[in-house]
Amino acid sequence: MSQFAVEACQLVKKFPARPGTGDKPLEGEPASSQRKRRRLFGKKEPKAMFTAVNGVDLQIQYGEIFGLLGPNGAGKSTTIRMLCTLLEPTSGTAHINGYDIVKQANDVRRSLGTVLAGERSIYWKLTGRENLEYFAALYHIPPAIAKKRVDELIERMELKDRANELVEKYSTGMRQRVAIAKALLARPPILLLDEPTLGLDPQAARNLRELIAQLKQEGHTILLTTHYMEEADQLSDRIGIIDAGKIIALDTPEGLKRRIDRKEIIRLEVSGWQDYIGEKLRAMREVESLVARRQNESDLWEVNLQATDSRVVLPKLMESISQNGTRLVNMNIVKPSLEDVFIHLTGKALRD
Amino acid sequence: MQLTTLSQPSLTTHLRALFVIARKDWKVFWRYPLNALSSVFQPIIWITPVYFMGKAFSTNGQAAGFAAYSGTGDYMSYILLGTVLTNFIMTVFWGMGYALKNDMDSGVLESNWLTPIPRLLILVGRTLTSILTTTITSATMLILAGLLFGFRPTGSTFAAILTAVPMLVGLYGFGFAFAGVVLLMREANTLVDVGSFLVQGFSGTNFPVQSLPYWLIPISLMLPLTYGLDAVRGFLLKTNTLLPIPAEIAILLFSMFVMLWIGAQVFHRVERRVRTLGTLGQH
Amino acid sequence: METTFIPRSLGQPGLLSDVRAFLAVVRREWIIFTRYPSWIIALFIWPLIFPMMYILTARALSGPDGSGLAVFIATTGATDYIGYIIVGTTVWMWQNIVLWDVGFALRNEQMRGTLESNWLTPTWRFSYLLGQTGPQIVTMAMFIGVTALEFGLLFGIRLNGSPWMLGLMMLAAIPAIYGLGFAFASLVITVKEANAFVFLIRGMVMIFCGITFPVAILPAWMQTFAKWLPQTYLIHGMRAAAFAKAGVKELLPDLIPLLSFGAFWLAVGYFTFLWMERRARKSGAIGQY
Repeated sequence: MSQFAVEACQLVKKFPARPGTGDKPLEGEPASSQRKRRRLFGKKEPKAMFTAVNGVDLQIQYGEIFGLLGPNGAGKSTTIRMLCTLLEPTSGTAHINGYDIVKQANDVRRSLGTVLAGERSIYWKLTGRENLEYFAALYHIPPAIAKKRVDELIERMELKDRANELVEKYSTGMRQRVAIAKALLARPPILLLDEPTLGLDPQAARNLRELIAQLKQEGHTILLTTHYMEEADQLSDRIGIIDAGKIIALDTPEGLKRRIDRKEIIRLEVSGWQDYIGEKLRAMREVESLVARRQNESDLWEVNLQATDSRVVLPKLMESISQNGTRLVNMNIVKPSLEDVFIHLTGKALRD
Repeated sequence: MQLTTLSQPSLTTHLRALFVIARKDWKVFWRYPLNALSSVFQPIIWITPVYFMGKAFSTNGQAAGFAAYSGTGDYMSYILLGTVLTNFIMTVFWGMGYALKNDMDSGVLESNWLTPIPRLLILVGRTLTSILTTTITSATMLILAGLLFGFRPTGSTFAAILTAVPMLVGLYGFGFAFAGVVLLMREANTLVDVGSFLVQGFSGTNFPVQSLPYWLIPISLMLPLTYGLDAVRGFLLKTNTLLPIPAEIAILLFSMFVMLWIGAQVFHRVERRVRTLGTLGQH
Repeated sequence: METTFIPRSLGQPGLLSDVRAFLAVVRREWIIFTRYPSWIIALFIWPLIFPMMYILTARALSGPDGSGLAVFIATTGATDYIGYIIVGTTVWMWQNIVLWDVGFALRNEQMRGTLESNWLTPTWRFSYLLGQTGPQIVTMAMFIGVTALEFGLLFGIRLNGSPWMLGLMMLAAIPAIYGLGFAFASLVITVKEANAFVFLIRGMVMIFCGITFPVAILPAWMQTFAKWLPQTYLIHGMRAAAFAKAGVKELLPDLIPLLSFGAFWLAVGYFTFLWMERRARKSGAIGQY
C-alpha cells in the first residue's frame, strides 16, 4: 500500500477554450509554444487551450484533513474531478489509496466518497432512504450490510423523521446531508468534499464542519476544497493555496500565517474610493500589496493593505484619503488571516 | 430629494416593449438554425405517409372517394393548405403557452413580469416573431412540398388570406386562455400536444370534416377554426363548403370577438389567482 | 510514522454486486416513473390520437360510397385499413418513444445532475442504460396493450392471426429498436441539439417504412432505401402475423433481417457508449449541460 492516501504528481488538465466564454490561455504559457502550434497545423486557426490545472503536486497523509483553498476558477473543482475519476488528466499521474486514477479507476471509486459541489447529485423524485439504498447497491455493498448502513447514516445525519419523504421536499441543508451520507455509504477511507458548505445557512455550515472533524476522528482522510478561508483555517491540518491552476503555497494554517507575521495588515473602510488613490499608495516602498473592493453595490469600499512599516504609511494614507470627497469611515490594524496570506501571495482578494 | 421613476408609460413605450420582445425572440430563433430547418421539414415528413396512403386509395392520381366528400380529387393540395394553416394555429397555441412554460423553467418569467408591461402584451409580443418565422418556414415548406407532391391552387389567394386573418386573431383568445391553463398546471407538454392535435384533427386539417363519423361532426362544428379552414379552401381550391362562404366568414368574425374576450378574462382570472397562491416562480 | 486506523470499504466487488447494481437501476427507474403521474394520460391518449389522424384521412379517402376503399383493398390486399394503419403507427410510436426515453436517459440524468454521482460508483456503466430499458419495455408493452384494447373496443378491430406470432415479431425487434436507442443515448451526451437526430430517425421511419401504406407503392429508389431500415421488416411482419395468419415460416423473411439488424445496432449502441464514456472523461462533458 502506498504511503499516502492521496498523491498527485504534476497533474495538468487542459480544456479546449470555448469561444465567447472568456477562457484564455494562461499568461505564463510561453508564446513560442503557441507559435509552434500554428506552424504545425498550417493555416488552420490554432485550437486555443485553457489550462485549468497546471502541474499540481499533492501528498496527503492518511488521517489528515487537507484543505484546498482558492478563488472561484482557480482549478479546485477540476483537481477534485480528476482525483475522483470523472476527468482524465492531460498529463501527470495521481494515486488514491495507492490506486492509479486512470488505470485502476474502479478501485479508486471504491476507495472514495465524493461530494461534488451543488445539491443536484441525488434524485429529487426518490426519498432520502431510497436514494441511499440505490447508491448502496451501486457501491457494491451487500444487501444485509447496506440496510444496516443506511439506517445508521440516516440516524447520524438526523434525517430519521423525514427519511421517507421525497428529497424535493427537503431543505438545502438536508439535501446536502443526504449527499454526504451517500458519500459515506461504502465507508470509504478517503473523502473528497468539493465546497461542502456552499449555499448552506450558517448553522447548517457549522454542523457540517463539526461532522467533518468527527469523520477525521474516525480515521477518514479528507480532502476538501473551499473558498472560505475561515473554514480552511478551522478544519485543515494542512492547506494548499491554489491560484490559476497552480499550488502556490502549502503548509499548516499556522505556518502560512507565520509567513506574513512581520507584516502589518491595515483594514480600512472608505467611502468614495478612487482607483488613483490605490495607485499612489501602491507606489510606496513600504506598501506590499493593496486590494480594494466595493461592499455590495454601496459607496463603501473595503481596503486591505499590507505594509512593512505602518508608521510611514499611515500619514500618507490619511492624506490621500481625505481628498475629493473620499472619507475614511473605519480603520483597523489586524492580525493576519489566511485571506491576508492569499493577498500577499497573489496580490488579489479571495472573493471579489 | 424626491425620486421620480424613469419609467413613464405611453403608447410608444408599450410598442417599443413589444418590439424589443419580438427582436429578442427573432435573434434566439436564428441562433438555432436546425430548428428552422426542422419546421420546414417536419410537416413534409408528417404528410408523406398521407401522400402515399392517398396513392393506395387512388386510381390514375384521382382520389374519387375523397372527391365525393370534398369536391376535389386533389387531396394533396387540400391537405397542404390545411398543414400551412395548422402551422399558424400551432404558433399561436405554442407561441404563448409554450413560451410561458419556457420562461417559467428558465426562471426569467418573474423578471419579465416585474416590468410594468401588461401581461397580455408580453404574450402577444412572444408570438409576433413566431408569426413571422412561421410565414417564412411555411412558404418554404409549401414551395418544397409543391415540388414533391404538387400544389395547385385554382382560386383567389387574396380572398383566402383575408379570410385567414380573423381566424388567427380569434385564435389569440384561445391562446390567452390556454396560457392561463399553463400558468396553473405548469406542465404544458402533454397538454399542448394533445390539445393542438385534437383541434387540428377536428377542424379538418387533413380531411373534410364531412367524412367524420356522425357522432364526431358536432365537435368539429363547434370549432370556429373549422369554418376558417373550410372558407379558405373554398376560396383557394373551390371545394364544397359546409355553409355558404359569407355565412362562414360571419361566424369567424363573431367568434373572433367572443374568443378574444373570453381568453383575456380567463387569463386575468388565473393570473390573479396565481399571484394569490404565489406559485409563479415555482416549477 | 504513527499508525492511523484506516476504515475498510464496505463495497465488495463481484459479478453478484454488478447484477444487484443493475437491478437497483431498474428499481429506481420504475419508482421515479410511477411518481410522475402525467404518463397515465399519455398512456391512454396517444395510442388513440396518433393513429386517428391517419385513420380519419383514410376514411375520407375511402369516400362515402367506399369507392376509394375498393382501390385500397385491391392495392394492399388488406381489408381492414384501420388495423393496417395501427400496426404501422404503433411501430413508429415505439421507436419514437424509445428514442426519447432510452435515448435521453443519460441526458436527463446529466441535466438533473445525477449522472456524475452514478459515474462516481464502481458499477459497470452500461448498466445505467440497460437498467433504463427494463421499465421502458414494460411501459411499452402496456402502451401496445392499451392500443389493442382501445381500437378493439371502439372500432371493433380484431386480430385475425396468432397473437404468439405477433409477439414473436415484436420480441425480435427489441435488439434493433433499443440498440438504436443506446447509440443515440451516448450521442446525445456529447452532441448539442441532439433532438434533430430524433426527428431525422423517426422521419425516416415515417417516410420509408410504410406506416400507412404498402412499401411497394414507393418509387424504386425509396424501396431500396427502406430495405435498410429494420422497422420496414417489423411493420411488414406484424401485419402479416396479425391479419394474414402468417406462421413462423412465412415470417422468416422478415425475422432474419430484423435480428441481423438487431445484432448490428446493439453492437453500434455498445461501442458508441464506450466511445462516449472515454470522450467524456477527457473533456469533462458529462458534468456540463
